[in-house]
Amino acid sequence: MRLNTMAWRTLSRNRRRTLITSLSVAFGIFLAVTFTGSGDYSYTSMINTSTVMGLGHVSVAEEGNNARPSLARWLRDADSLRIATSGLPEVSGAYPRIMGQAMFAAGAKSAGGMFMGIDPALETPQHNFFLRSVVDGALFAEAAGRGALIGAEMAEKLNLRPGRKMVITVTDKDGELTSELLRISGVFQTGDHAADSGIVLVPLDRLRQTLGYGPGGVTLLAVYTDDLRRVKKIQADLTEKLSPTGRLEVLTWRETQADLAGLIAVDRLFNNLLQLLVGLVIAAGIMNTMLMSVLERNREFGIMLAVGMSPAQVARLVLVESFWLGCLGLALGIMLTAPWFYYMSRTGIDLSALVGEDYSAGGVLVDPVLKLRLFRESALAILGTVFVLTLAAGVYPAIRAGRVPPARSIKEV
Amino acid sequence: MSEEQIVRLAGVSRVYRQGNVEVRAVDRLDLDIRAGEFSALSGPSGSGKTTILNMIGALDAPSEGAVYLEGRNLAELSRGELSRFRRDRVGFVFQSYNLIPVLTAYENAEFVLALQNVPAMERKTRVMAVLREVGMAAYANRRPDELSGGQQQRVAIARAVVSEPAIVLADEPTANVDSEAAATILDLMEQLNREKGVTFLFSTHDQRVMDRARRLIRLRDGRLEADEGGG
Repeated sequence: MRLNTMAWRTLSRNRRRTLITSLSVAFGIFLAVTFTGSGDYSYTSMINTSTVMGLGHVSVAEEGNNARPSLARWLRDADSLRIATSGLPEVSGAYPRIMGQAMFAAGAKSAGGMFMGIDPALETPQHNFFLRSVVDGALFAEAAGRGALIGAEMAEKLNLRPGRKMVITVTDKDGELTSELLRISGVFQTGDHAADSGIVLVPLDRLRQTLGYGPGGVTLLAVYTDDLRRVKKIQADLTEKLSPTGRLEVLTWRETQADLAGLIAVDRLFNNLLQLLVGLVIAAGIMNTMLMSVLERNREFGIMLAVGMSPAQVARLVLVESFWLGCLGLALGIMLTAPWFYYMSRTGIDLSALVGEDYSAGGVLVDPVLKLRLFRESALAILGTVFVLTLAAGVYPAIRAGRVPPARSIKEV
Repeated sequence: MSEEQIVRLAGVSRVYRQGNVEVRAVDRLDLDIRAGEFSALSGPSGSGKTTILNMIGALDAPSEGAVYLEGRNLAELSRGELSRFRRDRVGFVFQSYNLIPVLTAYENAEFVLALQNVPAMERKTRVMAVLREVGMAAYANRRPDELSGGQQQRVAIARAVVSEPAIVLADEPTANVDSEAAATILDLMEQLNREKGVTFLFSTHDQRVMDRARRLIRLRDGRLEADEGGG
């Protein structure tokens, strides 16, 4: 039977209606890509920005360190852990770090904050946000030296600038207070108030000595990947690989930064809910159009039923129309959305004028430029959902078409 | 039921409700149609002609009594079986032509054969043969809105007879065409009846149709008033 031919001719018979309906499908795709794309981009951006401030996409630490962070919980052999971790194909970087709380003093002034001990020879700007935010001076060059990279707001508070000295006071591995003299090598400014006023980067080896750790001692190994969707796999692989080496915990960013994970989960839920509502409104519009089209063609369906078409075949004809309407909408949607997506994924819209000077939200640095990014799964989900909704919108009209009473409808003019 | 008998109506009534009023469109009617007949149901508006055709064609069901087609009680068939029955055993010609507007004359005539899953080559041969018989071969690729009323009715006849049904039910087939087209259509149906043995049952109040019918069944108020030439 010529169901496809009949469906196409029916759609082309009322071109304006077909175009409007297809455009509403296309608009649905446009909105879904925009909502999902902004989500995929901003969530990825927030997670990446947050993880490059210290903890990594996946972190390896001594068991219990995430729940109760303490400098007394430390890993003894960071180098072999790093080598084992770097061997995983999904891992793009692994960095031994020491993170903890300290007092910083310069002259008569002091401030509390966080320190992060890093090895300058290993660290890269890609996986360390502070390295790409240096506004004065530079990162210290030696892991055993006395340099320090300090946040701009803390530098201002303690009246520090490159070349000046400050004292860091920490509790060592045995719980004893100990101090170390540092010299400011550079100042960073991230745009996040909490980071700029409360974080200092110090040389890893110097910190090991200060804390009484051995040569390979760190509080964590920060592990990075280029594909956020792989963190679960990395966690599983590392857990399996590192479990014989001691009481370690391998955690993803969702566990080490539960607040961020919760924020994203809630936002994603609302985003999906909004998209579902938009989808349903569009589906209702399509169903209305299809239903009108069916009601207008009662007589036609009556003839088809009278000459021997079964109700199921008539219903199938309307579903085939829905199918092609969905295809048309998808094609139009892709044509309409592709240039927008291209522009938004590359250039985006700069919202910094609206955001102000502090680019953080809920303690997480956000990108003031609104961009779109779409994971392949998201793109397929959008196209699939829109297509299924279009088909679903045709079900009721199709059933109605199959139930047309032929004897009465044939007489309709 | 005799072998020649195609249709039998046994005590058939059809009652409609219009608001609180009960309308008895057909009232305890007994009627037989035999193979090869060229018969007409006639009577004034509301006498039940179309209702009878609809019941014989399984488009409507009687309120009382039974309709048999080729010995089968239509009330015993499921919806799917009724669809197949209409497809395979009944041809319809309607007053308003009722071609499918998105299909060409060829495709309209081919429609029932396609529903029957007749192979494409055989369909083509049969459809072109019947379109030639009704004089519409030259218009095979035209859509209904490109054809005159008479031409559309000829295509409708082609659609009705192409599957070689047991009976062709024609509801006022000449009502919407001019005299010349009406004569052509009647000639055509007469020819199909005479040469191919197609059984026709018309509903009409057109005197020209009544004059041509070999059996004239007169109805009044849903009852049989006279049966002329029924032998």
